[in-house]
Amino acid sequence: MSITRLYNARLVDPAQSIDSIGYLDIVEGKISALQLGQPAQKDSCTLKIDCKGSVLAPGIVDMRVQSADPGAEHLESLSTLLAAAAKGGITALACLPNTRPVIDEASAIDSLCLRASRIGGPKLYAYGAATKGLSGAEMAELGLMAEAGAVGFTNGATSIANSLTMRRLLSYSSMLDRPFMQHCEDPDLTENGEMNEGETSTRLGLIGMPSEAEVIILNRDLQLLRRLGARYHVAHISTRAAIDAVRRAKAEGLAVTADTAPPYFLLNELAVSTYNTAFKLLPPLRSEDDRQAVIEGLADGTIDAIASDHMPVDRDAKTQPFGPAQPGASGLDTLLALTLTLVHQNHISLARAIEVLSLAPATILDIDGGTLSIGAAANFMVFRPDSSWIVKGAEFTSSSRITPFESHPVQGIVDFTYVNGVQIYPPAPLS
Amino acid sequence: MTKPTSPATDRNASSAPASLQKRHLLGIEGMSPVEIRSLLDRGSYFADHPTKVTSTALQGKTIVNLFYENSTRTRTSFELAAKRLGGSVLNIAVAGSSVKKGETLLDTATTLNAMHPDILVIRHNCSGAAQLLSQRVDAAVINAGDGRHEHPTQALLDALTIRRRVGRIEGLTVAICGDIANSRVARSNIHLLSTLGAEIRLVCPPTLLPADVEHMGVSVFTDMEDGIANADIVMMLRLQTERMAGTETPSQREYFNLFGLNKDKLMRAAPKALIMHPGPMNRGVEIDSETADDVEKSLIRLQVEMGVAARMACLEAISVRPE
Repeated sequence: MSITRLYNARLVDPAQSIDSIGYLDIVEGKISALQLGQPAQKDSCTLKIDCKGSVLAPGIVDMRVQSADPGAEHLESLSTLLAAAAKGGITALACLPNTRPVIDEASAIDSLCLRASRIGGPKLYAYGAATKGLSGAEMAELGLMAEAGAVGFTNGATSIANSLTMRRLLSYSSMLDRPFMQHCEDPDLTENGEMNEGETSTRLGLIGMPSEAEVIILNRDLQLLRRLGARYHVAHISTRAAIDAVRRAKAEGLAVTADTAPPYFLLNELAVSTYNTAFKLLPPLRSEDDRQAVIEGLADGTIDAIASDHMPVDRDAKTQPFGPAQPGASGLDTLLALTLTLVHQNHISLARAIEVLSLAPATILDIDGGTLSIGAAANFMVFRPDSSWIVKGAEFTSSSRITPFESHPVQGIVDFTYVNGVQIYPPAPLS
Repeated sequence: MTKPTSPATDRNASSAPASLQKRHLLGIEGMSPVEIRSLLDRGSYFADHPTKVTSTALQGKTIVNLFYENSTRTRTSFELAAKRLGGSVLNIAVAGSSVKKGETLLDTATTLNAMHPDILVIRHNCSGAAQLLSQRVDAAVINAGDGRHEHPTQALLDALTIRRRVGRIEGLTVAICGDIANSRVARSNIHLLSTLGAEIRLVCPPTLLPADVEHMGVSVFTDMEDGIANADIVMMLRLQTERMAGTETPSQREYFNLFGLNKDKLMRAAPKALIMHPGPMNRGVEIDSETADDVEKSLIRLQVEMGVAARMACLEAISVRPE
């Protein structure tokens, strides 16, 4: 029986409230032992890895990733997407249905997941499009997609604007016990919008998107939810008003969860001041008060998860004036280090960081991962939390290299990523 | 028809070129009072000598006018200003050019750059376009209007007009009326006039007011009579007709009623109040003809005249600036 042992590691597993030096054994792809302290020398292991100075934690479950493949493979193929994720400590990721063709039927989910499993690396899951072709009108085959493994339903980067359609989608998805993930944005309020509305948009002469656009859709959905009992997830929450609404809804007992992404707790709208299109994101960068609210929400549990919001964007679509430039940026290479910024700045503990990156998204999507419990699949990462580096898009493993964090100093480097007990990063040298 | 506007000579007129800190002229925001005054002083000098060859700063230099939006007065006044300084001018109007064939702004810029112009004058419908261009070309860039952002030479010519007629800017009350939200002229004027010590009031319906504009040091009025009360300058802005079709405002009729400038409303302003408009005017929409053509009060023709002088000062300052 082959045993792989990682020892001398700082084991961090919020699911079991563990944060101590110890070791972990892998047998047949599963965690067979998790012990605090030093292992006995006599134990016979096939492979022993000394993790001195490093943290061993459940792998990141990135719950919102845009794959350019299928449809825009020239921007990023599935294999570079998965390689970048592996390097980032990500052991599972959930892809948005915004591909070409749209993932709005079971066969599209099968196809994407099958292709990813052939490539290997992090486990890829997919959301099903809530409406056919993401049109926001006709309901897609949610039941068949759920059977094919859809981890949830969403209309991608747009809200379901029609309240009746939304009511039916929530109602129908409640039968399938899958979360409905909403990008909350009232499309009428943000029509032609170029950035967050406020003094900065006024100075720059860019068309403002009022921050209320987020909470208006959210409040409508919460109202619907009170009668329907569905599971509802707010994607990349970015405003104080929306975070307050989620906090109240949770207190009320509604089945609501929320995630955010690093730009919303590290940057604000002032970054747009030079018209640099790397800062054009969706939702737009908000005010400093909103940024503070996101940090508070992460610290007090109102916001459950952090996702990368990875979105490959054509460089030509960014080399434009700010208005017509396409929103979005790369996120896989930087997710861990940027999240650790919150730890280094003492906003949250390391255990909480692991919880929002791993345990919470795994729980929301009801998928493997998120814990180092004995018997669980050995999906974990080993990283040096204090090792510093400078973000340089040109050096990303992802072929999507536009980042709003260009030249930012960060800390946190992944040594190893394991999925089902197999090391997926660093990749094994070709024999 | 009307008596010609004959500005008095300006004792501040300068016989030396203005000096600018930056290589490009992209906006008024961030410019110092000294820089602005030096441009106005030099503009005043050119205005005093409208037809004489007073500078050969652009001799042997090429100025490219790249206009992505239609323009008559701005483009022609840049052209005239450049020619009076001895420069050669190339006008590129987007209609009929390769831009219509899908070429991007930056590809066009690269193409033009290969022809080594000295100064690129750009007007574009996107805010920030001039700044983007300035990062990608070797030529100095002058912003002739970018989206809703800035139109610095318009603000300079407006200030020059005021200074030559009133003698000063400091301490004046200036009411800017109309479509503030979509106006680059308003933004540049707010920056410039407040930098030189004027009090700025904005007058417009709330639907045409940009967010948090009070943070720019202005006061806001939705009642026009209150807004222009005792104002020394009433600056009207153009309102596009599509914004009066039940979207931002209910109708042209209602807009003129509430926010159009006529003799009655003007009675509320200071006795010697002057009227400005960057043009082109919508007569009967934001201003009635009687008021627009009032030779005693309207500075609209003088604004056009000052356009050439102000742009000569800008072109010269940029071309004589040490690299």
